[in-house]
Amino acid sequence: MNKKIAVVTDSNSGITQTEASKCGIKVLPMPFMINEETFYEDITLTQNEFYEKLESGADVVTSQPSPESVMKLWDEILEDYDEIVYIPMSSGLSGSCQSAIMLSEDYNGRVQVVNNQRISVTQRQSALDAKLLAGRGMDAAEIKEFLEKDKYNSSIYIMLDTLYYLKKGGRITPAAAAIGTMLKLKPVLTIQGDKLDAFAKARTSNQGKSIMINAIRNDMENRFGGATADNIWLEVAYTRNKETMKQFVAELEEEFPGFDIVAHPLSLSVACHIGPGALAVACCKKIK
Amino acid sequence: MTNTIDAKILAKMFLAGAKNLESQKEWINDLNVFPVPDGDTGTNMTLTIMSAAKDVAAMENPDMISLCKAISSGSLRGARGNSGVILSQLFRGFTKSIREKDVLNIPVFADAFEKAVETAYKAVMKPKEGTILTVAKGASIRARELADEGCSDLEYFFDEVIKYADEVLERTPEMLPVLKQAGVVDSGGQGLMQVLKGAYDAFLGKEIDLTIKEVKSAPSTKAKAEAQPDIDIKYGYCTEFIIMLSRNFNIKTEMDFKEYLESIGDSIVVVADDDVVKVHVHTNDPGLAIQKALKYGALSNLKIDNMRLEHQEKLFREEQSKESKAEEQKAEEVMPHKEVGFIAVSVGEGINDIFKGLGVDYIIEGGQTMNPSTEDMLNAIERVNADSVFILPNNKNIILAANQAQMMVKDKNIIVIPTKTVPQGITAIINYVPDMSVQENEENMKSEIGNVKTGQVTYAVRDTMIDDKEIKQGDYMGLGDAGILSVGSDVSDVTFDMVKEMMNDDLELISVYYGEEITEDVAEALKTRIEEAYPSCDIELQYGGQPIYYYIISAE
Repeated sequence: MNKKIAVVTDSNSGITQTEASKCGIKVLPMPFMINEETFYEDITLTQNEFYEKLESGADVVTSQPSPESVMKLWDEILEDYDEIVYIPMSSGLSGSCQSAIMLSEDYNGRVQVVNNQRISVTQRQSALDAKLLAGRGMDAAEIKEFLEKDKYNSSIYIMLDTLYYLKKGGRITPAAAAIGTMLKLKPVLTIQGDKLDAFAKARTSNQGKSIMINAIRNDMENRFGGATADNIWLEVAYTRNKETMKQFVAELEEEFPGFDIVAHPLSLSVACHIGPGALAVACCKKIK
Repeated sequence: MTNTIDAKILAKMFLAGAKNLESQKEWINDLNVFPVPDGDTGTNMTLTIMSAAKDVAAMENPDMISLCKAISSGSLRGARGNSGVILSQLFRGFTKSIREKDVLNIPVFADAFEKAVETAYKAVMKPKEGTILTVAKGASIRARELADEGCSDLEYFFDEVIKYADEVLERTPEMLPVLKQAGVVDSGGQGLMQVLKGAYDAFLGKEIDLTIKEVKSAPSTKAKAEAQPDIDIKYGYCTEFIIMLSRNFNIKTEMDFKEYLESIGDSIVVVADDDVVKVHVHTNDPGLAIQKALKYGALSNLKIDNMRLEHQEKLFREEQSKESKAEEQKAEEVMPHKEVGFIAVSVGEGINDIFKGLGVDYIIEGGQTMNPSTEDMLNAIERVNADSVFILPNNKNIILAANQAQMMVKDKNIIVIPTKTVPQGITAIINYVPDMSVQENEENMKSEIGNVKTGQVTYAVRDTMIDDKEIKQGDYMGLGDAGILSVGSDVSDVTFDMVKEMMNDDLELISVYYGEEITEDVAEALKTRIEEAYPSCDIELQYGGQPIYYYIISAE
């Protein structure tokens, strides 16, 4: 008889509590410290409230979920399930994966923490893949192994609207930020599993979008075995700018006809580093 | 009847050719098709040939090999502007062909002319007929005919070659419609004729003053040491010091200071860092240099050597090379070693700041009216301590000089991005991605510069007709990537009309860089006007501070 496997991720996946309960996934809310007060993503803090606070200049800091909250959630779930596959945000962006691995050592293999360096829409896809694999009869350890092997089969490009938050976070020098702001440069960043890296700069959003489209097509063709609808999930992540997102999705549909394209708000832990107005495209190789 | 000439006569002919070009340079400048205030061809060709003439004039009893070396390396290093680069390549080919000979006769001349033309055509990516190249080719064709006919009288030979080349020059307007419309012959071709005619006069034994005056540029000590073994010490004191700045030392003060040093000496190096300026000059009056420098701050590390006392030439040369090595090392101290560096040719405080902010390591002051020479490029490349160096010429007339520098540098990887305008240069460096390979960046930057349109507003220096537009002296002109877009007597109207001509539906961003003669209020008003006409476009206004161009505008 198959084991009963629970798939758990955190709110960086962009999976809302409502969506989670619909597809049978559990989502751990990420805590944010805003002006030294703690909020939980999608529980006590909505996307809109978050951006309002961010734009008003509030001091927004992401933090790791407390060990207590993680273990409490696991313990509750293990009352009904045999094993847990836990997919936290990328270990390149936060220490929460490392902490979770440590905590899981006390669970005798019943909790498998997946270190596959995903974030936002690609982390979301990972959770959905885990659900699919569990349905095929894999146990938690097998799912972990599968997802970790699959970790580099994803790619994200993000275009920023402002350099303010990059400067604030010390990711670029004040001088580079000054000239960039003067010329209205829009940097395009990339996440290849690990961390946020500079990829290119654009002067207009159309330019930026075409840079991202070319880059993602290049990844599909040269790294993921072909730009075809049956091979690739295409994802869009956005921050607040729904109209821009809709237009971008329409452009992608034209560029990649027949593809499954989903759009979700960018997870707040990424948004607080890059600010509102960002637009991202990501792709994951479909599991066969 | 003379049928051969030796190195001594050839040297005299070369100097006479150079002098004759120099004496007519203003007139050649006026032959420029576009009546823009640049006047480059005559000036550029003169600076190019004078750089070689200075070396040649310093030689006593030259033999053919050293004469050829002096002509070739002097003109290659001094080359600036398209016609200057082509002229230097003509000399290079010519001297390559004759350097092994003791004396020159007609068959040798015919070979050398052909080699010259072949070399020059190769140096230009897309050779255009109706230019200096065509005139040179005409000369070589006639030379070959005469040689084949067995002609042996050099006087008759030169006379015929010049006559025929002149005829070709007269036909250049038939080959290039822009020349015809402007009612001029090709200026580069005319410059070449001046050189040939001057040389012929010297051959005929006419009295010509062959003293070569100092060229107005700052050649590096290193180049001098190489090119001029028999150097005459013109300025006796090698003077070096460091100014610890107590006053603002911006690009303008730096230029003023350099200009002052040029008036009292040569071999000038002025390297400005944040709060110190390193100065090196050869002068007969070190006191003047020191007095001037004290106005900017306190001095340290003073060193004054009497170079004349070290009269043994060998000793002197060793000293020179030590000195230039020390300078190289010091320059390296100023700039830490990097993998990739950037050089941009630019003028105007605001635009220079933008380039520096975007990561340009070294700015060569120059542009439309001031084409830097190949040597200026070589010096800049030396200064930028990087394994790979990208050069952004930012002017179509500077690209060739940059390409020539690229070919002359062996120990670094030099990449010339052929940017024709400042906005193309800005686009190129914005698209540079540190994480990508040099080659990927080169491809990417080259393709991106095609996506930006440039318009520049300047004034007409004389009456003319271009692209069926009548232009009067003093009119404002809007120049696009492919010709004149607007003409008129109001600078804002002309600029606005130019923008209208540049626009299409795909454009999202218009950047306006206003020049030193435009006030911020006037520029703001123009910005508002463009904004109202194109509400879907972002308009960005920047202070460029450039001379010559009231506005430089890009659309992308």
